[in-house]
Amino acid sequence: MNSKTIKEPIRKKWIWIGLVLIVLANVPWYFPEGDIYPLVFGLPYWALIILISSLVLSGYLYWVTLTQWNLVEEEEEQEQREGGTAE
Amino acid sequence: MTDLKFAGLDGVIILIAYAVIMLGIGWLAGRSDKTVNNSLSNYYLAGRNLGFVALFFTLYATQYSGNTIVGYAPSAYRTGLTWLQSISFMTIIIGIYLLFAPRMYVLGKKHNFITPSDWLSHRFKSKRVTILAIFLMLWGLGNYLLEQLVAIGHAVTSLTGGTIPYQVAVVGFILVMLAYEWMGGMRAVAFTDVMQGIVLMVGIVIFLIGAIYLAGGKIGTITESIADVDPGLVGVPDLTTSINWFSMLLLVGFGAAIYPHAVQRIFASKSERTLKKSFARMAWMPPITTGLVLFIGLIGIVVIPGLDTAGSEQLVGLLANEIAGINGFFYWVMIIFFGAIVAAIISTADSVLLSFSSIVSNDLYGKYINPDAPEKKKLMAGKIAGVAVISLLLWIAWNPPGTLYEIFVLKFELLVQVFPAFVLGIYWKKMSAKPVFWGMLLGAVVAGLMTWTGHKTVMGIHGGVIGLALNFLVAVVGSILVPSTEKDDEEVAAPALTRVPTQN
Repeated sequence: MNSKTIKEPIRKKWIWIGLVLIVLANVPWYFPEGDIYPLVFGLPYWALIILISSLVLSGYLYWVTLTQWNLVEEEEEQEQREGGTAE
Repeated sequence: MTDLKFAGLDGVIILIAYAVIMLGIGWLAGRSDKTVNNSLSNYYLAGRNLGFVALFFTLYATQYSGNTIVGYAPSAYRTGLTWLQSISFMTIIIGIYLLFAPRMYVLGKKHNFITPSDWLSHRFKSKRVTILAIFLMLWGLGNYLLEQLVAIGHAVTSLTGGTIPYQVAVVGFILVMLAYEWMGGMRAVAFTDVMQGIVLMVGIVIFLIGAIYLAGGKIGTITESIADVDPGLVGVPDLTTSINWFSMLLLVGFGAAIYPHAVQRIFASKSERTLKKSFARMAWMPPITTGLVLFIGLIGIVVIPGLDTAGSEQLVGLLANEIAGINGFFYWVMIIFFGAIVAAIISTADSVLLSFSSIVSNDLYGKYINPDAPEKKKLMAGKIAGVAVISLLLWIAWNPPGTLYEIFVLKFELLVQVFPAFVLGIYWKKMSAKPVFWGMLLGAVVAGLMTWTGHKTVMGIHGGVIGLALNFLVAVVGSILVPSTEKDDEEVAAPALTRVPTQN
């Protein structure tokens, strides 16, 4: 029952700033139109950067979801321990 | 989809096997909970007790449909590397969930919400806000369902080489779907989703392996090979395309997260931890689902070049024919794969139908028509409405209206208009019903008219996104000018939680 462990993503601005930055990197508006070369690992360099930023997006959301969200988890688990089986 | 040379009786056998498995799972799900047909939350939300495996796969199999393969591979074929957006627009949905799901989970448990409109009527206490939202949600769900019905018919017909005609295929699978849904409700839907989700995942991987095999040595030099066909497919897209990409992220992100069946999966979770774990895993699914399908589409450009738009729609069937011809192993794998496509479509359709029924049961019938009815009766009203809407949609699918067809394409565009009310309403105490209603209505009308008149996008921005921006503007400015005077809304700023999260 420690209030310091309560976390809600909406209350943390940096999460959303981070998300917007990753999304900005995920759309190829900042490359010169029509560019293909050089190829890296057989892919146009720009596509590789977009692909990497997509993976960064997945990893970021994975991490945020698991570590920055904690509203009632402890309470539920305590109830579960006390009540024997869940609900 | 093109008829498959390889299919026929073997395809029929596989489909029957899928149908029997689904019915079996539905029967077991219904048997495991004898009270399933007595309570709305038992039937529509699996007793709010879905564990990690079921919740994860039902999120997955619902979000990814047969269209993810059959429709997205041709998109990759036509737009090339620009279709990389399909990875991020499916991923961003999880980011949008993070805006509201943590709080909505707690609220849902506390107030026993069954549908998203339960929250809206709790928050705004306005009949017209609730009714408009119900209308938008039913419309969006109905169209989504229509799309799935048409897709089931095409997939089955091509899998069985026409042995099972389109109409029979659709009716047959709808009966299977209705049967297991009636027996076990959300529990049946989620448990069949486990099977359907696994088959879809494995199917995509094996299809990709077949496609790579077909392409032979061309994989290492795929970019050059595509550049030979059309350099535009591998070059950096123009600015309008990039704007459209941003717009797509917004439309799909906001739209898919606010789908009623998506919100109901938040309510159905057994615990916060289960929900978190499921969402976190879902964040990794786009690279290995839409990402692999993108790759399949790109291989298609090299293996079967020169298809026009209509021809490219047949891409998955064409590739499957070639892959099935490699050897006996791939022959059977392709048949199972096409069964997987059918399974994926059904796993989306069943969730949409269940959600549709729940809105009728709980919102229309339960709130306005016969609020005092016992839950069993409300449940029956929703089930019957489900059968009625399926029948109506079948009729529309077989007699497509010539001129108004665009109306039946609207789904995200309309659904997404519920977002400002639904999410801002959680956190902003001053938000009031009147501007919320007008914002929602204006957004829906703008989005609807733009699509209807053929202006689906302006400068690459979707009508749904423009409508959503207007919607936000009206709802926010209106609420600042005429703030909510509700006295008893202490819940909004500091809701539901027994402890109030005031700091990081």
